[in-house]
Amino acid sequence: MNLANMTDYHHFPIYSVMVLFLGAFIIASTGSKPSKDPKNPAGFRAWIALCATALSLFFLGSLVKPVMLEGEIISYWMGSRAIAGGYAIGIAMEVDALSLFFALLIATAVFVSAIYSIRYMVHDECVPQYYVLYCMLAGGVLGLVLSGDIFNMFIMVEILTFAAVALTSFRTKVYGALEAAFKYLVVGCMGSTAILTGVIMLYAQYHTLNLAQLANLVPGTMNNATKLAFAFLYIGFSTKAFIVPFHPLAADAHGAAPASISVLISGVLTKSGIYGIIRLTYFLFQTMNLGSMQFMLVFIGSVSMFVCVTMALAQHDFKRLLAYHSISQIGYVLAAVGLSTSLGISAGLYHAMNHTLFKGLLFLAAGAVLHETGTTDLGKLGGLSKKMPHTTVLFLIGAFSISGVPPFNGFASKWMIYQATYQKAVESNNIGFLLVTVIALVTSTLTLASFVKVSQSVFFGQMPKEYENVKEVPFGMRLAMGILACLCIVTGLFPKTVTGVLTEPAAKAVANVGEYITAMGFKSNLPVPNVTFAKVGVWEPINWLLILCIALLALTIVAVAGKYDRVSEHGGSLGAAIEMVSGKNDQPAVNENGEVDTKYQLFYGGEKNVYSQVGGGDLFWGFKHNWRHYFDFMHDLHSGIVNDYALWAVVALALAIVYMMIVL
Amino acid sequence: MFKKLIAESAAKSPWLFHINSGSCNGCDIELVAVLTPRYDVERLGFKLAGSPRQADIVVVTGPVTRQSLDRVLSAISQVPEPRCIVTMGSCPQSGNVFKGSYSVCAPLSKYVHVDVDIAGCAPKPEAIMDGLVKATEILKQKRGQM
Amino acid sequence: MTANIFLNGLQYLGYILIFPGFLFCFLCGMLLVGIDRKLVARMQKRVGPPILQPFYDFFKLCGKETIVPAAAERTTFLVAPIVGLAALVVIQLFIPIHGFTAFSGMADIVVILYLLLIPALAAILGAAASGSPYAGIGLSREMVTIIACELPLVLVLLAVAKTVGNALGTGLCFSMSEIAEYQLQNGSLITKLSMIPAAIAFAMVIPGETGSHPFDTAEAETEICEGMHAEYSGAPLAVFKLSHAVKVLTLTSLFVALFFGGIGTGIIAFDGVIVFALCIVATALFISFVHAVTARLKIEQVFKYYWTVVSGLALVSLVLAWYGM
Repeated sequence: MNLANMTDYHHFPIYSVMVLFLGAFIIASTGSKPSKDPKNPAGFRAWIALCATALSLFFLGSLVKPVMLEGEIISYWMGSRAIAGGYAIGIAMEVDALSLFFALLIATAVFVSAIYSIRYMVHDECVPQYYVLYCMLAGGVLGLVLSGDIFNMFIMVEILTFAAVALTSFRTKVYGALEAAFKYLVVGCMGSTAILTGVIMLYAQYHTLNLAQLANLVPGTMNNATKLAFAFLYIGFSTKAFIVPFHPLAADAHGAAPASISVLISGVLTKSGIYGIIRLTYFLFQTMNLGSMQFMLVFIGSVSMFVCVTMALAQHDFKRLLAYHSISQIGYVLAAVGLSTSLGISAGLYHAMNHTLFKGLLFLAAGAVLHETGTTDLGKLGGLSKKMPHTTVLFLIGAFSISGVPPFNGFASKWMIYQATYQKAVESNNIGFLLVTVIALVTSTLTLASFVKVSQSVFFGQMPKEYENVKEVPFGMRLAMGILACLCIVTGLFPKTVTGVLTEPAAKAVANVGEYITAMGFKSNLPVPNVTFAKVGVWEPINWLLILCIALLALTIVAVAGKYDRVSEHGGSLGAAIEMVSGKNDQPAVNENGEVDTKYQLFYGGEKNVYSQVGGGDLFWGFKHNWRHYFDFMHDLHSGIVNDYALWAVVALALAIVYMMIVL
Repeated sequence: MFKKLIAESAAKSPWLFHINSGSCNGCDIELVAVLTPRYDVERLGFKLAGSPRQADIVVVTGPVTRQSLDRVLSAISQVPEPRCIVTMGSCPQSGNVFKGSYSVCAPLSKYVHVDVDIAGCAPKPEAIMDGLVKATEILKQKRGQM
Repeated sequence: MTANIFLNGLQYLGYILIFPGFLFCFLCGMLLVGIDRKLVARMQKRVGPPILQPFYDFFKLCGKETIVPAAAERTTFLVAPIVGLAALVVIQLFIPIHGFTAFSGMADIVVILYLLLIPALAAILGAAASGSPYAGIGLSREMVTIIACELPLVLVLLAVAKTVGNALGTGLCFSMSEIAEYQLQNGSLITKLSMIPAAIAFAMVIPGETGSHPFDTAEAETEICEGMHAEYSGAPLAVFKLSHAVKVLTLTSLFVALFFGGIGTGIIAFDGVIVFALCIVATALFISFVHAVTARLKIEQVFKYYWTVVSGLALVSLVLAWYGM
């Protein structure tokens, strides 16, 4: 094989997976002796992991042009064993726009989290092993989305599940880490087993494991066994996506894992589940033209988004709160994808991408708080914005994004989802989809509420005495957060470019199953659909931002001109306010005794300055009071016992089987 | 021009912050009386503010008990300049019938500069309004000097 | 060519700074609040403050000292009011005045719903940055009020979108200027049966969104010391008061644009006056009158009221709109 052949981009998908596994192998083979550098206990191993993730991202990034823009589908047979006698005998990789879209998300999140890990994982033991598992996890998820072979998908699911379980329990001394890992292991294995069972049932009937060939053979010949296989596969991938009823696992796992791993579990693992569900429903079984299947996905998506956002409102731990929000946002994705309209799929994928970005950012911010203060309990934190200004700004960008505040990216995608659901309601003349729009809009506000709670309880409000010596996190961690924050803003400001380059090709690929089959060398007579992405609404974030900037500029000019008023040292005009913001007009806040002058103390009705932060759990009392029965019910339901959650999984599987048998 | 406008406005929109420093509640009720439809000081722009940060005029009632002294002074210090301090009723001016008690710190003028005294036990609403209007004039002067 | 661009730019700058931007918002918003205060006083048999009172308040506050508490996060504390005001003024540019929209084709009604969150969010973050416990309670109540108002607002806007969409034959219409265009040709939306409950629901949302009686739990001056603004003084407070005034204008003019859109002459100056007159009527009815006859509710009552009574009305409207009435 010569060099020109090796640098052919058709090899890039396998390279991108291989570098990660190779990285894991190299790191593992260097032993577990930590380096002497206290700032980087893993030493060169961290750089190996970083290089591996960067290379992986590079390989996938260079595929954007052929796959996304030119619409090529890369098919790749390992060891050149392709098709014999009409059957796929080799292991295939097939990269269409959908696969590449998810792969890019994953590679980005993995790369950024690797940057973050270097300075984040300094207080832990066994950091070298961490990077082994890290690369395994990343490689597993990438392999899953790039694979063209359903058994390979199962293998990758196994690899990523075990890496994720090990990483969840990585901080064994953290309270609840082992328990969370155990729960995840039990239910995750049930999911993996379900996938394996589904794969076996398919193979027994169709004698092939190739996705494209299955997609060619299955849809016309559905019998009870295939329906059973479908139910098993669907439940298997649901556990990976943590959608209802598997959401309690996510909360435990995210809360216990190191923040850099929470990013992967939330931003990457759940996406692999969503990817699996899309592949199943749109490609393998092609059932999404059925109203009943659309109903199922949209229903589960809506329930996920609403239940989990209310669960998040009740949390008092930063990371658990974020975990529930993950599932809530995944609910958006699932509901949008389940609409089975091209706009819906595009919106759902856009939101999936945004979710990876902003949730990654938020988890990293939570990790930064944990790194500096040693806790993520909302009741114990407060006032960190004065000590960690950069982290605060980055957190706020993430919080605005997830709450759907214009012009950040969460708004752009949620806004598309509102339209997609409403358009679907009008087109199908079904008022049920309208309900989804309303739920999505209200959920968005509840999300905002819970992030107001976080900002008040962690970053603003009053600071407890013990955090006086807290410092800003190291540059490496801020860099990782900064990359994600920039991406959040850019993808929010240029929705048309982002959808045009990334999500619309992916949505077209979803609609165009025939090409997916023929690209692998099988014959398909599925028609090429005519895909349009017509939107009703208008939203021009750049223009809006421009107007806002002019307005702000005008206000600033008025304020600066307002200096006319600063005659005395106490003169307080807007101009003086601007100077204060820039720190020029620093006020004498301390009197001769070293105490803060009463003038600059907070007003307590005249009382002495006391610490009286309003606790996170007490905020939004007015809301929770009206919903107390609902919250009580939810509280009882989420018992935290793994037996219960295993039972939920079994019941969900049974329900799925019954439902599939009835409707398909 | 703006300076003049602001000085004019300072007199036309005085916001009150009311501190009770151990009053018998007689003066407090009378202060509320001037806000009622019969006297309606809102026609002069007066308004009760909830926080000293937003106030222009601090109205102190009561004989400034030892317990309340620190609190009264800290609340007064939190009022932004230009501000005007008004004592209302005889208690904060002299101690009234409580004069000489070990637990009373009146007069208030020992601790801060008081701009207007409204005498009476309790003062009539007309007297209160008169005092408040005087306070607005002082406020305007202070604003003009700044 | 360059002269053209220059003139266009100047025109847009005029939109932002003068009409319907800053100057218009400042004057009309303050006037609305002044009229509101006067009306409430008259309803309570008082003489009441002069109509120009909000202007006096504003200029007075500009001349006051600005105190930043030592516990506060300085930058957020001082920047928040300015960002909130700018965001509010920008919304006003998207609301049509009888067929005239300063910047059309830039934001639809769902976007406007979300843009309305930005000023509230700015106020909340400013309050949180002050570190005051009163502000903490105030912001919590403000957020609950926002959640409470969100559901009826969403339902009303979806009902409007469906009604106009039905009439235009596109099925759905989110665009503000198309809604205005439709009303120009077919008369105000309020004449439709399905829109009457929606209009009532929207009118009930106005006092909640602007934080006036009986839904002013977030700023309850007698119990939590002005709540969110407990630590604000001087110029930033003046900006907050101005923001409140602009918000009254924004919501009432949004109400007028959605339900009484077809009334006007076609000449911008007159239309501006007519819209403003309608805004005054809306303020008088939905803010002043309600203020004068009610006492402050508790926060959980506010929430319950909006999610049952008002949302119910909006839902009726949505169902009627769905079946094309």
